[in-house]
Amino acid sequence: MPSEPNYLGDRRALFALWGLFWLLMIAVAVQDDISDQYIKWWEPLLWEGSSCIFATAWLLLQQRYSRHWNRYLAQPLKWFGLHLAWFPVIALTFIVCIYSFRHGVYALLGDTYEHESWAFIFLYESVKLLLFTALWLAIIFGLASFSLWKQERERLLQMQRHLAESQLAQLKAQLQPHFLFNALNTISALMQSNVEQADRLLTRLADLLRASLAASSRQMTSLREEWKLLELYASIMQQRFAGRVTLTWNASEEALNASIPAMLLQPLLENAYKHGVEKSSQPVAIRVEAQRVGDALHVRIHNTGTGPGAPGTGIGLRNCRERLALVYGERAHLTLAPDADGVNATVTLPYEVFRA
Amino acid sequence: MMRVLIVDDEAPARDKLRRWLGTHADIEIAGEAADGLAAAAAIENLQPDVVFLDIQMPGLSGLEVAAQLESDSAPLLVFVTAFDEHAIRAFDLNAVDYLLKPYDRDRLEKSLQRLRERRGAPATRSAVSTARQETRSSERLLVPRGEQLELIDAAGIHWLEADDNYVHVHTAAAKYLVRRTLNDLLEQLGERFVRIHKSTAVNLAEVASLSPLFKGDHEVRLRSGATLRLSRRFKDALFARMPR
Repeated sequence: MPSEPNYLGDRRALFALWGLFWLLMIAVAVQDDISDQYIKWWEPLLWEGSSCIFATAWLLLQQRYSRHWNRYLAQPLKWFGLHLAWFPVIALTFIVCIYSFRHGVYALLGDTYEHESWAFIFLYESVKLLLFTALWLAIIFGLASFSLWKQERERLLQMQRHLAESQLAQLKAQLQPHFLFNALNTISALMQSNVEQADRLLTRLADLLRASLAASSRQMTSLREEWKLLELYASIMQQRFAGRVTLTWNASEEALNASIPAMLLQPLLENAYKHGVEKSSQPVAIRVEAQRVGDALHVRIHNTGTGPGAPGTGIGLRNCRERLALVYGERAHLTLAPDADGVNATVTLPYEVFRA
Repeated sequence: MMRVLIVDDEAPARDKLRRWLGTHADIEIAGEAADGLAAAAAIENLQPDVVFLDIQMPGLSGLEVAAQLESDSAPLLVFVTAFDEHAIRAFDLNAVDYLLKPYDRDRLEKSLQRLRERRGAPATRSAVSTARQETRSSERLLVPRGEQLELIDAAGIHWLEADDNYVHVHTAAAKYLVRRTLNDLLEQLGERFVRIHKSTAVNLAEVASLSPLFKGDHEVRLRSGATLRLSRRFKDALFARMPR
C-alpha cells in the first residue's frame, strides 16, 4: 500500500533552515548597529524580531493550509502562481502588523518609532518581502519536490516488489483451481456424448490458460483484451451451467480502448458465478458493462441473486483492491453493493487510452 | 443390486456418471438431483443404497445434505468434488469415500469396488459425522414442511419429543415431524439441547423455571408456557447445565 505522504522529514529541515536564517539576520543587524550610538541595543532586536514573528506566522499558515497545492509540484508555474497570488494580502498584513507592533513597543517604552514616509515604507518593504518570499518559496518547493520524489521512488520499488509476488498469486487466485477442475470435468463428461463440443470447450480452456499466462507477465492491458478473456471465461461457464445463466455485455467503443490492469476483472465475474449462479437454483442474469464517465472508466458486473457473504473478504476481491491501489493509489476503487435485484461490483479507475 | 442416486448441479457431470454407472449390471440408477434440497428429498423418498454427492451446489451443499442425514440409516455416500482442500483432508482422515473431478473410469471402478465391500458394514457413520464437523450442522435442521423440505434455525427450536422412529420438533410457529431418532438429532444439534426425559429434550435457552414434583421428578416450564416432565435420571445433568 502506498503510504500517506510524509512531509515530516522535509518540514523539520525547513524549520531548521528558517531558524538559522533568522538567527543570522538578527545577529547581523545587532552587529551592524552596535557601533551606532544613536541606536539603542534593543532596537535592531525589535525590528528583526517583529519581522521574524510575523513571517513565521505566515510560514505556519502556508504549511498548514497550502498542503493541497502540493499536487501541482509537477507544474512549478502553477504552484508558484497559486502561492504568489496571495502576495498582496501577505505584503499588506505583514507590513501593517510589523509596523503596528513596533509602534506599540516604542510607545510602551515611552519612545517614538521614527521611520520614512508610509508610501516609501510600503514600497520598500514590499520589494524586500517579495525577494524574501520568492527565496523561501523556492526552498519550500525544493524540499517538497524532494520528498515527493522520494515517495514516488518508494512507491515504484514497492510496486515492483508486489508485481513479482502477485504474478504467481494472480494465476493461482484468478484461475481458481475449483474453476479449472470443474471445467476439466465438464470436458471429461462432454467427451462421452459430444466430442465436437468437448473439443471446443477444451480449446477455449487452453485459450484462457494461455491468456492468463500472458497476462501474468504484464501489468496493463486494454479493456478490449480483458473483455475477450471475460467472454472466454463466460463461454466455458455457460457450458457448465447451461440454461441457468443469461449474460448481457455492454461496452462503449471508447471504454474498450481504455487501459486496465491485466486480469483484474475476471475474479469479479467469477464471483458472480460463484455466489450468484452456483448458490442458486433459479436462473441468474449477469450483466457486464463498461463506460467512460468523464475522466473515469466504470466497469460494472451485476448479478441477480446473492453476493459474497461477508463483503470484502473474498481473496478475489482483496486481490483486485490491492492491485488497484498499487497501480492507481487513491484514484481507483472497487465497490461491492447489493441493489434491488442482486449485487453490483463496480470498478472505477482513471480513464487512459491503452497504448501497447 | 445397488440403487444409486446421482447428485450434481451440472448436467454434463450427471450425464457422465449415469453413462458409466449404467454399464454395470449390479447398479440401478434410482434417480438424479440437481441441488441440495432436491437431493435430501430424493434420499428421503427413494431410499437409495448409494449417493454420489457433489459438494458445491446451490442451496444446500453436498456436505450440508450429508450432515442432515440420520447417521445410522444413511445410504453409503461418495462425495464428488472438484476442489475443496479442507473437506478432502477430513475425508482422508476419516476414511470417507470421495471422487476428485475430473476422474476416469478406473477411479470410478475402484470406488464402486469399495462400495460393494462396504455394503452391510456400518461405515456411513463416519461420512455423516465428518460432514457434520465440516458444516455448521448444529445451527440448522432440515425438516419437512408439506411436500417440501426446509432448513430451520436450531436456536428457534423449543423442544424435541421422540415418537417411535420420529421426533416432533417444536418451534414457536410450528411442529415438524422428522424421521430421525432423538439420539441422532441430539448428536447433530449438540450442546444447545439437554435431555430431560427418555423421550424429551429441551433447548436450554428456552427453560423458564423448574419446580419439584413427587419422587424426585421436576416440572420444566418453558418460556412458551409449555410444561414438560424432568425425570430423576436426567435431573443432575440438567441442573449442571442450568445458569445459576
